[in-house]
Amino acid sequence: MAEKPILEMKDIHKTFDRSKALDGVSFNLNAREIHGLLGGNGAGKTTLMNTLFGLYKKDSGEITLHGNPVQISSPRDALDLHIGMVHQHFLQISAFNVLENIVLGTEVEKKYSMDLSAENTLIQALQKRFNIDVDLNAMMDDLPMGSRQKVEILKALYRGVQILILDEPTTNLTPQEVDDLFHTLRVMVEEGLSIVFITHKLREVLSVCDRISVLRNGRNVITLNKNEASEEMFVRGMVGDEMDIQNSVIFTHAKSQIGTTKINPEISLKVENVGVTTKEGIQQLKEVSFEIHQGEILGIAGVAGNGQRELAEAILGIIQLSSGKILLENEDLESAETDKRIQRGIAYIPEDRLHDGFLPKASVAQNLILGYHKNDPYSSRGFINWKTVTQVSEKLINTFNIKTSGPSDTGGNLSGGNIQRVLIARAFSRPAILLIAHNPTRGLDIPSMDFIYSKILEEKNKGMATLLISEDLDELLLLSDRIAVIYKGELVGFLDREKFERYEIGRMMSGYRVEA
Amino acid sequence: MTTITGSKPSIIKSFFPYLIAVLASLVAVGLFIGLMGFDILHAFQTILFTSFKSPNGFTQTLLKFVPLVLQAYAFTIPLAAGKFNIGGEGQLIVGAIGASAVGIIFFDLPMVLLLPLVLLGGIIAGAIWGLVPGWLLYKFNINEILTTVLLNFVAFALINYIATGPWRDPTAGHPTTTPIGAGGFLPMIIINPPLHTGLFIALLVSVGVYLFTTRSTRGYEMVATGANPRAAGVFGIKVKNMFVMSLVIAGAIAGLSGAIEVAGVQHRLIEGLQSNFLILGIIIGLIARGNPLAVPFVAFFIAVLEVGASAMQRTMKIPVEMVFIVEALVLLFVLLSAVVRRK
Repeated sequence: MAEKPILEMKDIHKTFDRSKALDGVSFNLNAREIHGLLGGNGAGKTTLMNTLFGLYKKDSGEITLHGNPVQISSPRDALDLHIGMVHQHFLQISAFNVLENIVLGTEVEKKYSMDLSAENTLIQALQKRFNIDVDLNAMMDDLPMGSRQKVEILKALYRGVQILILDEPTTNLTPQEVDDLFHTLRVMVEEGLSIVFITHKLREVLSVCDRISVLRNGRNVITLNKNEASEEMFVRGMVGDEMDIQNSVIFTHAKSQIGTTKINPEISLKVENVGVTTKEGIQQLKEVSFEIHQGEILGIAGVAGNGQRELAEAILGIIQLSSGKILLENEDLESAETDKRIQRGIAYIPEDRLHDGFLPKASVAQNLILGYHKNDPYSSRGFINWKTVTQVSEKLINTFNIKTSGPSDTGGNLSGGNIQRVLIARAFSRPAILLIAHNPTRGLDIPSMDFIYSKILEEKNKGMATLLISEDLDELLLLSDRIAVIYKGELVGFLDREKFERYEIGRMMSGYRVEA
Repeated sequence: MTTITGSKPSIIKSFFPYLIAVLASLVAVGLFIGLMGFDILHAFQTILFTSFKSPNGFTQTLLKFVPLVLQAYAFTIPLAAGKFNIGGEGQLIVGAIGASAVGIIFFDLPMVLLLPLVLLGGIIAGAIWGLVPGWLLYKFNINEILTTVLLNFVAFALINYIATGPWRDPTAGHPTTTPIGAGGFLPMIIINPPLHTGLFIALLVSVGVYLFTTRSTRGYEMVATGANPRAAGVFGIKVKNMFVMSLVIAGAIAGLSGAIEVAGVQHRLIEGLQSNFLILGIIIGLIARGNPLAVPFVAFFIAVLEVGASAMQRTMKIPVEMVFIVEALVLLFVLLSAVVRRK
């Protein structure tokens, strides 16, 4: 493809506080292409595109559109230049219907009567042209994630966007919805649009993109046409040279060794007909039953908000059961409060790390002992032994590669990824019977993910049972011995490792029940 | 909130903004005093050095220091758990009532028995006054700011009733009870100028509070609760118990300060013995940012200002409110320095 790019970004620099987010990044986009922007967490992908969309002001660098230099200082400027962006978190008003959400913020023809029939016709024409199927009269609240995303795309198309940026668009989509999205993107490109596709998932860029650029630490690594490149080259580009790919869980174990280790017949956790109903009468968990054996990893798949958090909190005793019971090593946990359950050997990595797992005003050491502070090496006779705590903390900081000035550093000084490492270090700091890990690798770069996977597998081999709740299907497929799918608070089916199938799981995630 | 270790440069670094804040507030106050037509230097000299120029000034300062430091802890301990105790005043009054009641009822007991009983009476009465808002919070989720403030008014009515009721001293012009038994008086460290052993109790409490919040597991749980109640709960800390505990401890300490006022200074229950200790205690707690190690030093500094202020009023006829302005300005500048540092 020797054609001239329609959009060029040259030598873009952007610094936040003292950390360089973009260090001379260049990027170009051809007409009618899907350009994948690939990189781990913190690589600068989103920052780069936010500067293009006018959300961030670049420190230096040049942007040219159709050969003319342009200044973009706000999203409004970007839209005037026909550049649109769909963010990872949708900006939608749930009490409005689809049509109202799409026209929101644009000039409406009949603005006093709010008669939207003219707009309705326009949007329906767009839907036909791009083959996007959403009911314009549906309330936003009632739509599944996949449809909400279509609304965002329609929003951009309605504003006459020619260049569309999609930031991690497949988060929270089922595999079917992902396929659907890719199909739509293809149609859009055929209709003359150009698309930037931001992701950290290699599989996705390889299946939908024409060209792929890899970023790492705010710098360009490579840009290649899809057919010129091997998967290996992209992997190397994303993770850099430090990581030992030969021994990594993500790249080598893939399907081979995990899951073949023998699972002990001893049952670690037994959940029997557990139901949870809120005071308002909302049923959050219904008749949930499963067991996890020693050394087994049970994955829980599902679209976010289908009862995953409630399941974890019910097992930990943070929320009360309305029915059923939970047994840890054959012992009914009913009378045990959360602190007793943690002491009995349940380790927890909560999903919402800032809210549920971290004390920003306390020190790193104080954070590392939360929940275990009453246990033996950390305290005796009601007093905390800070000397031991500091020593253990230093060790954990080293092993888990937490970037901090030391155990007495204030927790709030840590970056998101390092906060996650603190939570993980804490969960692994003591031997546990059961680990409940909820999205344990969200927001981490690939080497860190790999490190956490190897830790989970290491403990698995020692007999720890794991309940892995994740919205990342790749993660579940990689690690789990079995996968259960949760939908509206119910487990709709179980699959054994030999029978793992992405689309089957996807169907179950949208509520189809598998008869056992 | 409380960090475990601090290297030397960080201590100096963290102290620096305070120094600037104090200097800035003094400059602002100097401006006011100058505008009012008084001698600025002389006024400053009086405010800052009265406490150190005479033994009398110094003991006066120490006497002020005792209730101030205790009131400050009554505010900062719940603060560490994320709760606001604005009821230190009521807890002090009720503590004083409890102490006087014990002192009057068991008038004839010897000191070995009566003094501990008087102090204990104050502690228990104050703790009950802290338990009430704690329980309301635990059971019905009623905001503790509201309940602690309202209980102050109940305490005002209560002291009024008792000091004008059956135990009233008919010879006094002001609502006052008859004295407690001499066995309940706190021994003196110095007779003239008078300085009672309540000072040692206050220092002992300071050490205790410091050890409790930074070393004990309960203290850790309390600090964790204040730092993020949700995360503390997820990891097994009984957050609501921590709220109640912090308010009860606060009440007990405030009650003790009331007992010390009775046993050390007044030797009887007098209406108005709470002075304006509550506001000053809150100011001290806020300037110290809840750090238990900083509280005694800030409390001493405020005591110096207070003593200097009344001297300034006596000798220079500058209104005593001027010192309130200094204290308020120090607080404002300290809070401001935190904002500036964050930028």
